[in-house]
Amino acid sequence: MDLWLKLIPVFVVIGGLLGVVPLLVYFERKICAWLQDRIGPNRVGLLGPDSPLEVLGINSGNTRILGGLLQPLADAVKLFTKESFIPAGADRLLFTMAPFFALLPPMLAFIVIPVGSDFTIGGNTVMLQVADLKVGILFILAVLSMSSYGLAFGGWSSNNKFSLLGAVRSLAQMISYEIGLGILILAVIMTFDTVSLRDIVNMQAAGGTLFFGTWSCGPNWIWGWGIFHQPIAFVLFVVCAFAENNRLPFDLAECEAELVGGFHTEYSSMGFGMFFQGEYIAMLSMGALIATLFLGGWHYPGYAAVYNMSAGYPQLSHFIAALISLAAFGLKVAAYIFFSMWVRWSLPRFRWDQLMNLGWKTIVPLALANLLITAFLNLSSMDKPKPARLEPVARASRPLEPHAAGTAALRPFDGDTP
Amino acid sequence: MSASHGHDGSHGHGSGHGHDHAADTSRSQNFLEKLYLPEIAKGLMHTLGHLFKKKFTMEYDGTDHTNPKKNHIPRPGYRGEHYLKKDEAGHVKCVACFMCAAACPAECIHIEAEATPSDWKDRERYPKRFEIDLLRCIYCGYCEEACPVDAIALSSAYNVVSQTREEKVYNRERLIDDGVKYGLSLSHHHYRPDGVPGALPAPKAGH
Repeated sequence: MDLWLKLIPVFVVIGGLLGVVPLLVYFERKICAWLQDRIGPNRVGLLGPDSPLEVLGINSGNTRILGGLLQPLADAVKLFTKESFIPAGADRLLFTMAPFFALLPPMLAFIVIPVGSDFTIGGNTVMLQVADLKVGILFILAVLSMSSYGLAFGGWSSNNKFSLLGAVRSLAQMISYEIGLGILILAVIMTFDTVSLRDIVNMQAAGGTLFFGTWSCGPNWIWGWGIFHQPIAFVLFVVCAFAENNRLPFDLAECEAELVGGFHTEYSSMGFGMFFQGEYIAMLSMGALIATLFLGGWHYPGYAAVYNMSAGYPQLSHFIAALISLAAFGLKVAAYIFFSMWVRWSLPRFRWDQLMNLGWKTIVPLALANLLITAFLNLSSMDKPKPARLEPVARASRPLEPHAAGTAALRPFDGDTP
Repeated sequence: MSASHGHDGSHGHGSGHGHDHAADTSRSQNFLEKLYLPEIAKGLMHTLGHLFKKKFTMEYDGTDHTNPKKNHIPRPGYRGEHYLKKDEAGHVKCVACFMCAAACPAECIHIEAEATPSDWKDRERYPKRFEIDLLRCIYCGYCEEACPVDAIALSSAYNVVSQTREEKVYNRERLIDDGVKYGLSLSHHHYRPDGVPGALPAPKAGH
């Protein structure tokens, strides 16, 4: 039973991640089309002409149901049936391994992100987070920087000078933007006084941060979200996130709009497919990170009201609150994904030198200034008591931490904890 | 800016050529433009408007050849794939005179003539074999112009797909069937340079 409870978040996160990628491919094409006054894929649907049933020779009527939704399936079939080609002179081992390096790290990043609030089943607490690492953010930074190995290996092992150049470009880009990203995350860590993503979200949900001392707007309101405490960091973080994901306007790694495909020029079949999937999962994990750090994670306005909705059946209302929180988290990630697609089909690409100028001469200094301001604000509120941390359901698996125990009086959900 | 420099003589030349060139090629950006973000927001709002605009795409799927929403119907006079007409008796109208084959600049029409059966009173020959190689055809419409009995014509069919080269060589039956399929064999779908069905306009005086 206990094992199954631990497996719930694994299924929710990994299953959701892999299931959402084809949808993202579909919406990327749809949004691209809509922004360009086109309709986009609308043929391969569930039923009707061009549907999978029709391909198998079963007549399924003349009207298309949900036309275009299964286009990613058609794409996948196409990729699977292509030849997996390894060019002459390529390093076969690295060449085969590179797509895995592109796909796995972004998925790993997801396991420390809390995707929903806790609820209880029969006295057992279910956390919608695969692993509650106390070094959550550091883990994400470590894992995300690993994803550049996929690019490096792919470009290096292909025995193709264009692939190598693409890989070198994207490596330089990712490394220089990772520095800005790290400094911005540092400011967020200082704001919330913790590196555990779970604690960061709980703090935002409780509606207060270190800046304002004992001030708290309560868990029904959204003023505790990171975006209201670190607005500059939020904007810069989104810019860095685009660069980290190799998305336009910083897609120098690929330039697939008019040049060769960069580091994955030599890849065909599912090798290319995995790079493609990895790109979208990286977008998802970056969106999840932004949602967690700046947009309150799974928190939504009116959380406490839903949480305390049913006095007679507290577990039911907790469960409903958790479901809504899952949806809220998904909505925030979806908002980032939409924004990133919107930007991709609106803006031209930055030139190589412009990209480096922006990274080193604008974002890094601004991030440092932001860090300095945060440090001063932290200093000025040091003597005030630590703010509330939302602990709706006590962690059964580990004892209360000292700082949480010290602020027990500030907890908004007294009486609910067993 | 460069024009005014050119006109006020000594000052413009005195300040040096390098400076002039810089002023010509790039307008200096003001502070807001250097920030990138306001300009990016402008661009994003522009594309967001297009997200909700009416789409230009015509959603034709080729299922209904008479519905202009399902199938692009070309203007009258469009030169698509050929068809052979039938007469009132249901025979092919063609008299196998080879005029079309002679007129064809791409030499894609191949005809084998044969004497008509005894019950065909109106002519002596008919085509036993009539093939048009549509991969060679340039769709000029000269065959239709050349035909003395108005037996061959170009239809508006433009989206007929074949999977082999052999399929693109249309034989007599296919040419007749296509006319029947599109409901054209007895209609007045004639190619005319001005696009108006019917008689050619009289040549203008002076030309």
